[in-house]
Amino acid sequence: MEAYRLMKKYGIKTVQSAYVSSAAQAVKFAAGKPIVLKAISGKALHKTKSGLVELNLTGDSQISAAFTHLKKAAEKYKPYKILAQHMVPQGIEVIMGGREDAQFGKLILFGLGGIYVETFKDVSIRVCPIRKTDAQSMLDDLKSKSIIAKDAKSASMLEELLMKVSRMLIENDIKELDLNPLILHDGTYDAVDLRILK
Amino acid sequence: MDKKNESYKVKSFEYMMHPKSVAIIGASNNPDKVGHVILQNYLDVGYSGKLYPININASGSIMGLKAYKSVLDVKSNIDLAVVAIPAQLVPKALEECGRAKVKTTIIVSGGFAEVGEVDLQYKLLEIAKRYKFTILGPNCLGVMDPKSRVDTLFLPTYKIDRPRIGGVSFASQSGAVGSSVLDMIAHEGFGLSKFISYGNAIDLDEVDILDYLARDKDTKVIVFYMEGVKRGKDFIEVAKRATREKPVIVIKGGTTEAGATAAHSHTASLAGNYEAYEAVFKQFGIIKAESLDDLLNFSKIFDTQPLAKGNRVAIITNGGGTGVLATDSLYNNNLVLPQLSKDSSTKLRAAMPPIVNIRLPLDMAGDADDKRFNVALDVIGNDPNVDAIMAIVLFQTPGADSRVAASIMHHSATINKPMVVVSPGGNYTQAHVNMMESSGIPVYTSPESAARALDALVKYSKYKLAKGR
Repeated sequence: MEAYRLMKKYGIKTVQSAYVSSAAQAVKFAAGKPIVLKAISGKALHKTKSGLVELNLTGDSQISAAFTHLKKAAEKYKPYKILAQHMVPQGIEVIMGGREDAQFGKLILFGLGGIYVETFKDVSIRVCPIRKTDAQSMLDDLKSKSIIAKDAKSASMLEELLMKVSRMLIENDIKELDLNPLILHDGTYDAVDLRILK
Repeated sequence: MDKKNESYKVKSFEYMMHPKSVAIIGASNNPDKVGHVILQNYLDVGYSGKLYPININASGSIMGLKAYKSVLDVKSNIDLAVVAIPAQLVPKALEECGRAKVKTTIIVSGGFAEVGEVDLQYKLLEIAKRYKFTILGPNCLGVMDPKSRVDTLFLPTYKIDRPRIGGVSFASQSGAVGSSVLDMIAHEGFGLSKFISYGNAIDLDEVDILDYLARDKDTKVIVFYMEGVKRGKDFIEVAKRATREKPVIVIKGGTTEAGATAAHSHTASLAGNYEAYEAVFKQFGIIKAESLDDLLNFSKIFDTQPLAKGNRVAIITNGGGTGVLATDSLYNNNLVLPQLSKDSSTKLRAAMPPIVNIRLPLDMAGDADDKRFNVALDVIGNDPNVDAIMAIVLFQTPGADSRVAASIMHHSATINKPMVVVSPGGNYTQAHVNMMESSGIPVYTSPESAARALDALVKYSKYKLAKGR
C-alpha cells in the first residue's frame, strides 16, 4: 500500500483499494457498490493473462464466489494477496510510466494503454523534469491523441497529471513505474493498476 | 555564448584549431608512416605556424624541417602535439609533452581500449590530468580546419578530397564514417568549418565538442556522428544551449542494439536505450538524421536557408508528374501545399499562358522558360500563404537552360523564405546544379529528399521559435 500512499502524496488519483483476507471483508469493502478482486503476486506480472482478475462484482454471493475462485486460481502463484478495488466506469485506457535510464536519468512515458500497449506501441517519451510545453508535445506525438485527449479540458488534465508523475519520478528513488491502465472517464481519471520497482 | 563559463577543455580546442606551433610526434621521412602523412598534409595545406617534427631516431631533418628527438628539445612553446607512434610508446611521449608544457594533444595512435588495452589508455588520462593538458582521442583522425589550414588527418590529400571553407562543422566518433562523409562533403554544395574525429574520447568527448562548436563563431551548423553519449546529463545541458544558438544534426549509430537487461514493466520495454536517445533529441531540439544521405541533405539546407515560419510549401515545376510526386512527398513529411492568395492568382493568371493552371503545384509546362520562372518566383515569394518554396527544374525540357538557373539564383538571394530546388539528371543538369549549389541553393535529386530536408528545417524552426519566447 506504500505505492498508493506515494500516489496520494503527489495528488495522483488511484481507485479506492484495500487488501482483503476473506470474502466477508471484501463484501464489507464493497459497501453495496460494484468491485474488482485481483490476486497480487510477484510471480504473475500480467494479472489479466494469468486469470487473476475478477471484474464487476456485485452482491454478497457474487463477491464470495469470486473470492473463492480467485484463491484457487492464485494457488500456483504463492505467496499472493487479494486486492479489492471499487469498479471504475468504462473509459479510455492509457499508460503512464517511468524508468531510470543509466545515461539520461528519469524518463517519463505516456500513451495508449491497457492490453494494447505492446501491440500499438503508441507512446511518447521525455526526460524528466518536464514542463507544460513538453507535456503538450507528448500528447501531440501520439497517433491516438484524438481518442485520448478529446478536448482542451481533458488535454489540460492529462498535462497536469504528467507533470505530477514527472515530479514523483524525480523526487523518489523509482527505477520503474507503470500506471497501466489509467482509465479516463467522465472528464476525470483513475489509476487502476500500478507497479513500482525501486 | 557566455565566454566566462567556457571550460579549459573547450578552450583547448582553440589551440587545436588555431595553433601557433605544432609538434608531430612520429614524423618520419618514411612515406609509409602515419606521422609522415600528417606532416605532409600540414605542408600541403599551407599551414603557416611553426612545425616541429619529433622522432626518437631523428638526426638532422625530416622532410626538410629541423627534426628533434623529443618535444623537450624544442626550446619554444608548443600549442599542439599530434601523436602518431605505437601505443606502448605513447605514455612516455605524453610525459614529455607535459614537461614541455604542451597545451593540448591529439593522439592518433590506436591500440588502446578498442583492443582491450584499458589500463594503458587510463594511463594517458592520468598523465594529462597531472600536467593539465587535454587529449583528443586516442584512436582518432584528429581535426581539420580549412580556414586556419590545420589538418591532422593521416589520409593523403590525393586520396580524400578536402571540403572548401564553409559553415558546417562535423564531429565523428568513428574515423571511417568521418573520412567518408568528409570526402562526400567536398562534392556537396556547402563548405566545412571544423572537422573533429574524437575516437575513444578518454578526455575530450562529445559534450566538450558540442560545447566548443556551439560557441564557435565560424560554425553555423553542427553535425555529429555518435554511437553513444558518456555523460548523458551534461550532454542535455550543453545541447539545450547549443540548439538555441544553431542547428545540431545527429546521426546515431547502434540504434538497433538489443536492450541490455530484461524489462520488468511495459514502460521499460517500450522506453529502451534507443528510445531514450530519441526522446532526448526531440525534447532538446536536436535534428535526427536517419542516414548519411539525410546528414548531407539536412546540412545543406541548414547551412544556406533561413528558418521557416510554417510548413506550407509552394511547389513550382516545369514537369507535371514530378509536381504530383513532390506533392505526395510533402504530405508524407508533415508538410502541406497551401492555396495561393487571391492577389497571387490574379498576377499569375495575367502572366502565364492559358495552358498553365493557376494553382499549386504550379505546373508551368514543359516549355517554361526563365520568364515564367521569374514571374512565378516573384509572385509566390511574396505570397503570405507560402512559408517555403520547392522549385522543380527539369533541365531536360526545351525551355530550361542557364537562364532558368540564373533566375533561381537571383530569387534565392532576394526571397526571404527557404527555397530548395529539385533537379534530377545527367551531365547538363549537373553543370547547372553546381552553379546553383555554389551560389548557396540546396539542390536535391528527388522531391522526397528535398521534402525530408524541409521537414527538418520546419521542425527546428518551430523549436527555436518556441524557445525564443
